[in-house]
Amino acid sequence: MFATAAYNEAVRRHFADPQHAGDLQKDHDLTLVAEVSESAEGAHIVMSAGIRGDTIAGMAFRVRGCPHLIAALELACRILTDQPVASLENYDSANIIQELSVPVEKAGRILLLEAALATLWAQYASDED
Amino acid sequence: MSGAAVYLDFAATTPIDPRVADAMQSCLSPGGGFANPASIHIAGRASAALVEQARQRLAHLLGVDPHCLIWTSGATEADNLAIAGAAAFRAHRGKHLITMLTEHKAVTEPFRHLEKSGYDVSWLKPDADGLLAIDELEAQLREDTQLVSVMHVNNETGVIQDIRRIGEVCRAHDVLFHTDAAQSVGKLPLNLSEMPVDLLSLTAHKFHGPQGIGALYIADRPGCKVLPIMHGGGQEQRMRPGSLPVHQIVGAGTAAGIARDEMAEDLLHASALRDRLWQGIQDVSGILCNGGIKHVYPGILSVSVPGVEGESLMLGLEPVCAASGSACNSTSGESSYVLRALGRDDALAQSAIRFSFGRTTTKDDIDVAIERYRWAVDHLRSIAPLHSPGS
Repeated sequence: MFATAAYNEAVRRHFADPQHAGDLQKDHDLTLVAEVSESAEGAHIVMSAGIRGDTIAGMAFRVRGCPHLIAALELACRILTDQPVASLENYDSANIIQELSVPVEKAGRILLLEAALATLWAQYASDED
Repeated sequence: MSGAAVYLDFAATTPIDPRVADAMQSCLSPGGGFANPASIHIAGRASAALVEQARQRLAHLLGVDPHCLIWTSGATEADNLAIAGAAAFRAHRGKHLITMLTEHKAVTEPFRHLEKSGYDVSWLKPDADGLLAIDELEAQLREDTQLVSVMHVNNETGVIQDIRRIGEVCRAHDVLFHTDAAQSVGKLPLNLSEMPVDLLSLTAHKFHGPQGIGALYIADRPGCKVLPIMHGGGQEQRMRPGSLPVHQIVGAGTAAGIARDEMAEDLLHASALRDRLWQGIQDVSGILCNGGIKHVYPGILSVSVPGVEGESLMLGLEPVCAASGSACNSTSGESSYVLRALGRDDALAQSAIRFSFGRTTTKDDIDVAIERYRWAVDHLRSIAPLHSPGS
């Protein structure tokens, strides 16, 4: 099964010990929460971002999904923490797909991550309005 | 295979018994049976003798006359030959066929092919435990029914069908009965001389023999015949053309002999391992045993849990090698059609893990599986959303 779903070392590491899995501490100026899912029975993501000023001060996620998606969420949280909030806008997961060696046929699932980040950005933008 | 791997995927294939490998190696040596058994010279006759000795061993395991066995490349070819060959032989009498939704694809696909060719196929649904209701079968039989195919032991759940009773019903209606016994031959006692089975498919690699060799049993009785689906030389009673792979046949025969001698011990061993595994994981919250425990071959334990994703569960299980409830030939993560036919929803079918074990499995292997399964489920649940989407 999953003949093409070999996992590189980064996937295995983030899968086994996802440091950002769980819930966000509530000590931020603003907490954004995005929930996206593939289908009722498919991948399901809840992603949170804690904002302080115009900086992403903390991120967390919960997920039901494949190892590549778990690792991608963890990696995204690591990359985006301490970055400007604007980093959420139009986030391109190509570097994550490359670092995790995500097979072509599974790249679509990683787009769920981009959808979650876009939702977070939309919330922030509407809050700013 | 990595030395650290814990192999619990015996329903996919079993490790070759060293005694089988030795017999095959002897056959492949310069003085062994490399010659074509169809040749009439001395070397050919020596190979033919090895082929017939292996056929006798397999026949002894099944309680049949050796001439009723046709060597094939495996159970898939045997299934195709049985289904397509029997349907063709009896097409003039009628074109209605019956099988189950939970059959292996080696059976369902030939039936789907026949459907496209104008045959009418009735697909029977099992009960929640995976069993065929005999009265449901009787209700589906018609004047023009020619063949019923129901597997003996299900490859995903281990559920054992009552093939004696099914065969009796078929005989009473003059309908041929085929069973895919890939998961039971060499593992469960089968004496076909006293069972109403007309056609039976098997493969050696499920009982510690080599891959690439199997057989079709064709009962020697009036009206029971199949037409060949391949055409070439006159080997195997003109039923299956092609030069016979002597070393693989020798391996199959050797494996059959060992299976017959050690079956009782193997069964006890598998039962003890299954009980140990189930006791070790049965208190995992929400766990379900697919097919139950009662009517199941003890070398297979299929379990599902809510709230976890199948592929991640498989990675969490490493170094345990088991099978997932996701489709074997798909990267889509499509859930098992067998488990869905048992009433499992997509999520539960997709989270299914099939542990299968046998002669060479140790208690330590099972203990590793228990530890890894519990860790994987706990881990995945700890990072999962606290509610389902839309709830």
